[in-house]
Amino acid sequence: MMSKAVEEIKEPTVKKRNPRRVVAGLAGLSGALFLASCAKNAPQDTWQPKGENAQKIDDLQRPVFAIAGVVGLIVLVAVAVVIFRFKDRGQPIPHQTHGKPVFEITMTVIPALILAGVGVFTARTVFDLAKTDDTEMIINVTGQQWWWEYDYPVQDGISAPIISSGQLVIPVGTKVLLRETSRDVIHSYWIPALNGKRDAVPGRVHTLRLEADEPGIYAGQCTEFCGLSHANMRMEAVALSKEDFAKWVDAQLAAYQSPTEGLAKEGEAVFIAQCSRCHQVNGLENANGDPIISAPEENVLAGAAPNLTKFMSRNTFAGATWDLLNKTCRDNVWNATSEEFGAKYLAGVSAECLNVADLRDWLRNAPAKKPMYADPTKLADTGGLTRGMPNLNLTEDDIDKLMAYLLTLK
Amino acid sequence: MFTTGSKFYLGISTLAAIVSVVFLITNDQVALGCVALLGLMVSAGIIAGASLASRDGGDTENATTSAAADPAPTSSIWPLALTLGLVVLIIGIITEPLVFVIGIGVILAALAEWLVQSWSERASADGKFNALARKRILNPLEFPILATAITGVIAVSFSRIMLAVSKDGSAILFIVIATLILVAISLFSLKPSIRTTTVAAIATVGALGLVAAGITTFGIGEREELVIAAEEGHYSHQECGEEKSKYYDKHVERTVSSKSGVIATVILKDGELTAQVLGIGEGQKQITVPRANPTSILFQNLDDTEHRLTAYLGEKPVAEGVTEDDLRCTQMIGKGGKQVLTVMIKKPTFAEGPYTLTVPGIEGTSIEMIVP
Ligand code: HEC
Ligand SMILES: [Cu+2]
Repeated sequence: MMSKAVEEIKEPTVKKRNPRRVVAGLAGLSGALFLASCAKNAPQDTWQPKGENAQKIDDLQRPVFAIAGVVGLIVLVAVAVVIFRFKDRGQPIPHQTHGKPVFEITMTVIPALILAGVGVFTARTVFDLAKTDDTEMIINVTGQQWWWEYDYPVQDGISAPIISSGQLVIPVGTKVLLRETSRDVIHSYWIPALNGKRDAVPGRVHTLRLEADEPGIYAGQCTEFCGLSHANMRMEAVALSKEDFAKWVDAQLAAYQSPTEGLAKEGEAVFIAQCSRCHQVNGLENANGDPIISAPEENVLAGAAPNLTKFMSRNTFAGATWDLLNKTCRDNVWNATSEEFGAKYLAGVSAECLNVADLRDWLRNAPAKKPMYADPTKLADTGGLTRGMPNLNLTEDDIDKLMAYLLTLK
Repeated sequence: MFTTGSKFYLGISTLAAIVSVVFLITNDQVALGCVALLGLMVSAGIIAGASLASRDGGDTENATTSAAADPAPTSSIWPLALTLGLVVLIIGIITEPLVFVIGIGVILAALAEWLVQSWSERASADGKFNALARKRILNPLEFPILATAITGVIAVSFSRIMLAVSKDGSAILFIVIATLILVAISLFSLKPSIRTTTVAAIATVGALGLVAAGITTFGIGEREELVIAAEEGHYSHQECGEEKSKYYDKHVERTVSSKSGVIATVILKDGELTAQVLGIGEGQKQITVPRANPTSILFQNLDDTEHRLTAYLGEKPVAEGVTEDDLRCTQMIGKGGKQVLTVMIKKPTFAEGPYTLTVPGIEGTSIEMIVP
């Protein structure tokens, strides 16, 4: 004990570092970080509003950010000055005084005024964004591990319920109101270009306004940590012109066309045998002509699996994490001009454009592609129910057939 | 050259580095674990660097008192308690989560006591003062926790006894025990000269008796009617008709309401049912209900007489080849009352619909629940 203590006392000299070099290093690092934040291809950039609601947030956050920046800078400079001017150079401790009312009151009042000013505008924006009485279209949004389901109730221009997943299709220039809920844990819906975040909570309904000014695709992702594949729970809002949206509705409501022959016909049989216990395809019938009704609640913990009736009318799958279009066709849609975009999106997925590799991977072994709790030997806690899609151990033959069949679903 | 603090953190950092190498070699799914371990290595390394640079906050120069000047530490049961806690914790890992939590509780308590004790013993050279210092800090923690624990044990024991004896018996028992306590306390206050040990002894005997009776009655179980009620289940007796139900409408005045979170508010007014849907508006005759998801609907009765809202959710099998209507309902609600009805519909409307909301006794008005 003693010897150690002595040893430590004997050795008080600390090697002097060069403060200049440290400062330069820090400056360089922060500069690099700053530059790194200016990514070019950033579809989820919160500084690029593309609709009225996001614009309101932007109008608020820019001045607030500027004010906070100025205040932060002042504080930083003040701290730095104090550190360098008054550092301990062995000078005597200066005379200590207590209190300086004028200074203290000023330093309390100024921040209070700043906060009050920011608060007024923040409250106004919050109330604006909570409005529901000017709604022009309703879409129910249900989150579950790890994808979003959309259903469009019957309303003006929509004569029968529509159900879809992954990509939210909306008409431009329309005040859309999402009514969000969840089937399992809390998720959060966020399309940065169109509005802020809103949690989807089981047993509750929360609303979120969305409005897009221009046709196009707006990316987003779940922003409430929701388990294993939270990072793979994405979504896209697809804005179509009003005419194109009407076409989309008609296409969604078009009757199911059972394939008549070939690989696709065989694929339908495989689908009925392997997939229809979880996935609903509206209009699919068994040999007796009775509709086949899926039972996801008996197979999946959340009680739902994506409705695949018009699967190939979407551009993405599995929580909008993978593209259904190959690279060329995808770029073609994403980079289309506002005028051309609608037609390109409505074309859906053709055999030439299909992203065969990713979809085959998915069918071959879904949990290997997207982490999910679907290992049948480890489902004791959930009574045999999976979270996500299990590996169905399909043969390559069956996958060929299914690929052909899935292509007909649009 | 290395300070005590920096040695500690360097040790952690090195250990994390070694473990992450071992982890890398022995595990298949490495990403998350490696990130965690390397994160630990880096962060401990940074702290080590910081404490090295600041010479552990620069206090080492003052550490000049010799160890001999410190008073010898007194005996302590906390190391033992800590070990006990660890054992409980380990047993908890392999048995019940509750045991694990108790283990954590014991460990935390033992650590707190031990820390404060060892600190107080070095607070000064005066043993009495040190004991006082310990009490100052720990008594405000110890007393409420102990009191809560004792109250909890007594309350649980008492409730076990009350649940086991018959309804009338429990009332008599309650009166008897309360009287006994009153008598004992009156006697104590009449005889202030009584020794504290006597009081403590009587109180201990009483408490032990209570706990013993609690444990015994816990073994016996709850009284029969409670067991039967639990077995039969409240909701299996849900009678969704026009009349009050013997089982279900007992506490109508306790209607629950919920302002938000419901998918729709269904209002009965002037013999007409309408739905008010968040974001859609009033006067709806149709609401969309997500499939296979418990969904809440608020019923509000603005009629003069009592009514209930009944949901028809299709047919349910009750025996081989026999089905009956699958009904869910609120209780009978008086004028102005509200109650939430939670429904879960497993099949889409085109499979088993139409699903409806109606009010028994009022014909010709209903709301359709569309399940996409
Ligand atoms: C046990 C239930 C279950 C079975 C059986 C099942 N799936 Fe799935 N499937 C799911 C779930 C759950 C998801 C959503 C997974 C996610 O995105 O996180 C899904 C997603 C999908 C998707 C992506 C859909 C979208 O819009 O994002 C496709 C395509 C798909 N499954 C095809 C199939 C095919 C083909 C079969 C039959 C070979 C099949 N599934 C069998 C549960 C199932
Ligand atoms: Cu999520």
